[in-house]
Amino acid sequence: MALRLLGLVGLLVVGFALSLSVSEYALRLLNLAAIAGISVIGLNFAFGYVGLISLGHAAFMGLGAYILAILTTQAGWSPWLASVPAILGTGLCAAAIGFPLLRLKGHYLALATLGLNVSFVIVAANWIELTGGTNGIAKIPGLSIAGYALSGEQPFLWFALVILACLGFVASLIQSSRHGRAMMAVRDDETAAAMTGINVTAIKVAAFALSALYAAVAGCLFATHVNFVSPDDFGFAQSITFLSMLIVGGEGTIVGAILGATLLTFLPEWLRVLGDSYLAFFGLMMLGILIFLPTGIIGLFDRWRRRAPAPETAAAEVAQP
Amino acid sequence: MADLIQLLTNGLALGSIYALTAIGFVIVYSATGVVNFAAGQFVMVGTFAGVATLVNAGWPMPVGYIGALVVMALFGALFYLIVYLPLRASPIVTVIIGTVAIGITIQNMALLTFGSWPFPVPSPFDGMMIDLGGTVISAHAIAVVIATGVLILLLWLLMHRTAIGIAMRAVAQDVKVARLMGLRVQWLLAFTWILAAVMAGIAGLMLGPMWFADVNMGDPIALKAFAATVIGGFGSLPGAIAGGFFVGLAEVLGASYVSSAYKDLIAFGVMILFLLFRPQGIFGEKIQDRG
Amino acid sequence: MITTRRGILSLAAGVAAGAWARPSFAAGEPIAIGAAIPTTGPLSLSGKQYFNTLTMAEEDINKSGGINGRPIKFVIEDTGTSNSTAVSAFVKLVQDTKPPFVFLSSYSTQNLATAPEVVKAGIPVMYAGGAVAVSASSNGWMFRIRPTDSLAAHGMAQFAKILKATKPGIMYIQNDFGQGGAQAAAKQLEAAGVTPVGSEAYGQNDKDYSAQLLRLREKGADVILTFVYPADGALLLRQIKALGLKTPVIASSASFLPASVQLLSPADLVNVWGVIDTFVDASVGGRMADFVTRYKAKFGQDGDAYGLAYYDGALILAEGLRKVGTDPKALRDWIASQKAWDGIGQTFSFDQEGNGVHGVAVVKAKPGTKTLELVERLKLG
Repeated sequence: MALRLLGLVGLLVVGFALSLSVSEYALRLLNLAAIAGISVIGLNFAFGYVGLISLGHAAFMGLGAYILAILTTQAGWSPWLASVPAILGTGLCAAAIGFPLLRLKGHYLALATLGLNVSFVIVAANWIELTGGTNGIAKIPGLSIAGYALSGEQPFLWFALVILACLGFVASLIQSSRHGRAMMAVRDDETAAAMTGINVTAIKVAAFALSALYAAVAGCLFATHVNFVSPDDFGFAQSITFLSMLIVGGEGTIVGAILGATLLTFLPEWLRVLGDSYLAFFGLMMLGILIFLPTGIIGLFDRWRRRAPAPETAAAEVAQP
Repeated sequence: MADLIQLLTNGLALGSIYALTAIGFVIVYSATGVVNFAAGQFVMVGTFAGVATLVNAGWPMPVGYIGALVVMALFGALFYLIVYLPLRASPIVTVIIGTVAIGITIQNMALLTFGSWPFPVPSPFDGMMIDLGGTVISAHAIAVVIATGVLILLLWLLMHRTAIGIAMRAVAQDVKVARLMGLRVQWLLAFTWILAAVMAGIAGLMLGPMWFADVNMGDPIALKAFAATVIGGFGSLPGAIAGGFFVGLAEVLGASYVSSAYKDLIAFGVMILFLLFRPQGIFGEKIQDRG
Repeated sequence: MITTRRGILSLAAGVAAGAWARPSFAAGEPIAIGAAIPTTGPLSLSGKQYFNTLTMAEEDINKSGGINGRPIKFVIEDTGTSNSTAVSAFVKLVQDTKPPFVFLSSYSTQNLATAPEVVKAGIPVMYAGGAVAVSASSNGWMFRIRPTDSLAAHGMAQFAKILKATKPGIMYIQNDFGQGGAQAAAKQLEAAGVTPVGSEAYGQNDKDYSAQLLRLREKGADVILTFVYPADGALLLRQIKALGLKTPVIASSASFLPASVQLLSPADLVNVWGVIDTFVDASVGGRMADFVTRYKAKFGQDGDAYGLAYYDGALILAEGLRKVGTDPKALRDWIASQKAWDGIGQTFSFDQEGNGVHGVAVVKAKPGTKTLELVERLKLG
């Protein structure tokens, strides 16, 4: 508990220090990283803990962002109020979809969620009356706290960091709770988990819905940060990016999710100096990371510390009979 | 009626390309378990191999085609060495992301090499049209459907009637047993990648004249091929073919009879329904991955 | 693979050599101007043109003495395929080079996403995206150097009337440009008392349009208006002919870009009119001929109207910088005050919403060839 609070405070301190010392451009990227980080912590529930491969995470982020965008621009709601149905609605939607879909595993689930994401984009691009079609929705109002508008990159970053820290903290509480151990038990051996009395379907649906809730929070932040959403922002490529962030950071860990989100947000921007070939190098570097750091950045730290079993695996082993 | 025949022909030609892409994907999947998200880029490379030999180098037709397929065989071997071997023991997700990453590299290298303008690609049947009382069908489209049929037959013969094909199927079923039987597993796996790349190359060469060569054409084809694979049945060659034709026909007939804006929902919607209610697809593998 | 690697090496070498060997006719600290344009992904088909014409404009401006003796320098960042990358590119430019002015991309969603940042940065920008919505977000800082989509649609509808079509059909690509254009065209046609018989969509990555075309034929369309991107625009024209449709076609500008025309045969262009930004051809003579010949000699490809818009934009900017200096606000007011600025491709008059172009041109291929000729210029709005 103390360690977790320390991590939370550490994140806020580092983030706050960065927010005072870096350029506007870096601040923007930090905001993007924080938003992606929230989304990836969510994905960690589904993939990191339960092992559900989701290639549709961006669709949930998009659903949240679109509900907020529609309610604020067409019904005139405040973004705070609109974020409630945006987040809860997305979570419910994920639970409803997850219930039939999560019987699938491995690449079957991967392709089913991919299909969902593609379908989401088709609907968002063609339901013009509601979503504005491919032109998207512009002029989404930004957030303000007690009359103070979070319009600049810096105040927005402070806000995003607080949300990131809180949601990270909640995630770590869930991880070490009975439910978190049940999730990992389901990942490691479904049959065994079922035999110990864990309701496998309920755990899977819960993790999936939880991941969608986090994605929706990220979506609401995205919409209020950029003030614009369009179907392109939530394509399946974005889902693959989220999954890559989790793998690169280190699956199954919250710190890994944040590190991965940060690294993959900054990497293509750093590579811009290479000119036209920067994306070609980006692909190669990704492949290199996957080959040489199979357990992600966190795995690298663990290897440094020479501490053999990572805490999560140990926890999972305990939960198994 | 004339319109229906027209639509069916176009749907079949479209489906042939999806089927061939799906076959390349399935050959690799059933032998190695790799879900290759770069499958669409394989087809793109195939088309541009044709651009390099037929357009840039100006080789005559048969030589150019052979040259392009040799390039594809080398490409398959290279992919085996650089991507498959290092990632062969990795979990599914790592492999998915790895193939996506290398796909980005392949696409951008093609952009750097060939530029952003699309290329016209010659066909032996350029300009030949067959008019059947109101239905106009290009000879190339018919050739594509026929060539796909012949290829499927040859592939079947290869897999079931030759020593190498039977060995490949043994590897696909159980690598350990295959190794105990004295099969040179690594060579067979390399050959699998080469075969998949050549199949993708053929798809690429056939679609070039119909659709032009464009460095960004890979991913959209791959998406449709994934839908085809699932509908037909993961890991099944006849399934890939049936699925490919289904997706091609659904696209054209859906645009005609349902809605041109929402037509792609049909392919992906049917894909999801299949996953839910019949995950083994029309012909598919035994379902191990369903709880 | 070897050729690829060699391609990259020679490219890198070329960039390096270009950086060293740039002749500087104007001395002093260069004025850095940003350009956030797509140089990778599908959008780079036009992005590469902007890259080329801006490079050419930089050389031309500096050869003729720069900005009152100071050279100008375009710093280019890639906007890629995503809105987020486009915004990052713009913010990076503003941060790193502190430019008095930036060129944006021609993709409306990228520009819509960037618009709030432009207002925040408080510097004038020029962009080419057609969607009408962009000017509503511009707050006076954004200047459009190509026709709006609704202007192009208006031109197409008007020309359909000239062709005496009574049952027009519409075919559009499912993106911001196509959806916007098709809606605007339908509205214009209905205002003129002609109801479109059908409006059919196709996906950005679709390759077969037979279902949509046959539906339009079934509905008795006597002209087809197409809202397209380059490669699909060419493919669409070819499939219209392959299906044996004799219906006249009024195509949006992308169909008549050199990148599209090179994919077609003369037969594909029979009975096809293009409503384009401006007629880019050496036969126009004067400065146009000079631009066309020099572009071709420099880049080995034909220049197009989209690229020319950025070249003209750069010339407007250069004059503004010479007259009022690098203060962003002064520069904005100067650009906004330009009425009838005589460019190579257009006469630019910026209105309240920052739209600078108010006319389109109709072209057609000369019979049996792919050589284009001007049919007429339509002055609108």
